[in-house]
Amino acid sequence: MPLSLGDWSQLLEVIGTFLSLSLFSLGGGNTLLAEYHHLSVDQYCWLTSAQFADLYALAEAAPGPSSMIVGLLGMGAAWREGPFWGLFSAYAAELAVLLPSTLLMVVACLSWNRLRDSPWRLAFERGMGPITLGILFAVGVKILQTSNHGLPAYAVSIAVCVLMLRTRLSPLWFMAVAGLLGGVGVINR
Amino acid sequence: MTPLAPPPNHRELLIGMAQVALSSFGGGLSAWSQRIVVEQRRWLSDEEFLTGLTVARLFPGPNQINMAVYIGAHFKGLSGAMAALCGILLIPFSLLMLLGLIYFQVHQIPAVDRVLAGVVAAAAGMALSMGFKILGSYWRDPVALGLAAATFVALAVAQVRLIPLVLVAGPVAMAWYWPRPGTTAGEAPP
Repeated sequence: MPLSLGDWSQLLEVIGTFLSLSLFSLGGGNTLLAEYHHLSVDQYCWLTSAQFADLYALAEAAPGPSSMIVGLLGMGAAWREGPFWGLFSAYAAELAVLLPSTLLMVVACLSWNRLRDSPWRLAFERGMGPITLGILFAVGVKILQTSNHGLPAYAVSIAVCVLMLRTRLSPLWFMAVAGLLGGVGVINR
Repeated sequence: MTPLAPPPNHRELLIGMAQVALSSFGGGLSAWSQRIVVEQRRWLSDEEFLTGLTVARLFPGPNQINMAVYIGAHFKGLSGAMAALCGILLIPFSLLMLLGLIYFQVHQIPAVDRVLAGVVAAAAGMALSMGFKILGSYWRDPVALGLAAATFVALAVAQVRLIPLVLVAGPVAMAWYWPRPGTTAGEAPP
């Protein structure tokens, strides 16, 4: 495994990136997705835009929290060094994105009785809600632009969006059907 | 009300959270979490569990992971939080890494790429639905909708980065919604 100084500095880049984003993961959802895309595709060129979209779909399809996409991004960043280094980078990225928020959560758990009725907490909860809403719409639009370049693809996305809101079906069904449509060439990038 | 079980040790936290992760492989993680932690293992009362859920939603980080951290920290502090975190993530994360390894090996095969193009279009629809899911709770608050719209425009149109945006818009929103004596929650000031 040929490792140069450059690989270590890239690993530090990966760790630093996700450490600094951790505490901005508002509202528990995927509010950081657009930021992940900007950093891993535009700024650091770890991945192509299409690869990013693939990894997002992979993380959504797999069981468990979809925020685990960070591990995949870390893997992509170091993939050219081989699978082992890619795995190492994946675990490092995931740890980096979870560590700060976990530490804060421990502090919150131990001091909750004091925090519970504090005006800070109320203001934070009410104020951050609308901002989270705006971020989520921006993330949705960003992922839509990243993933789709054709009319059929947009139609599928919008249909899935409506079905997600109107039915209780598992999203895996939508992905399976759309994958089939892609396989036979109805949906192109 | 059944009495609570004795508090779990690190090993039990790890195994319990792994059980939650495994059970929820078809979705519905928070429901499984409650079923296992409150009903089966009786570690927490319903009230304590709901408090945990409140804290997990309030603070940054994925809700489900925060919930596990809360449960671990509640019983064993920092090391308990780490045990619970490992428990909830170990199996799903290993599985995802396996998928990732396979993906990077085969994603250049044209047939794979074609199927992925379809899957990606569906996933984008899921991303789009996230905002609509919580839109309903803000529908009657014009200030909230204005804040959300301004945030959206700043990010999607003006290409402002997320961190500076949150650092500027966060305090403004918090000042507006600061609880005042005499006004009810969330109402515009007179």
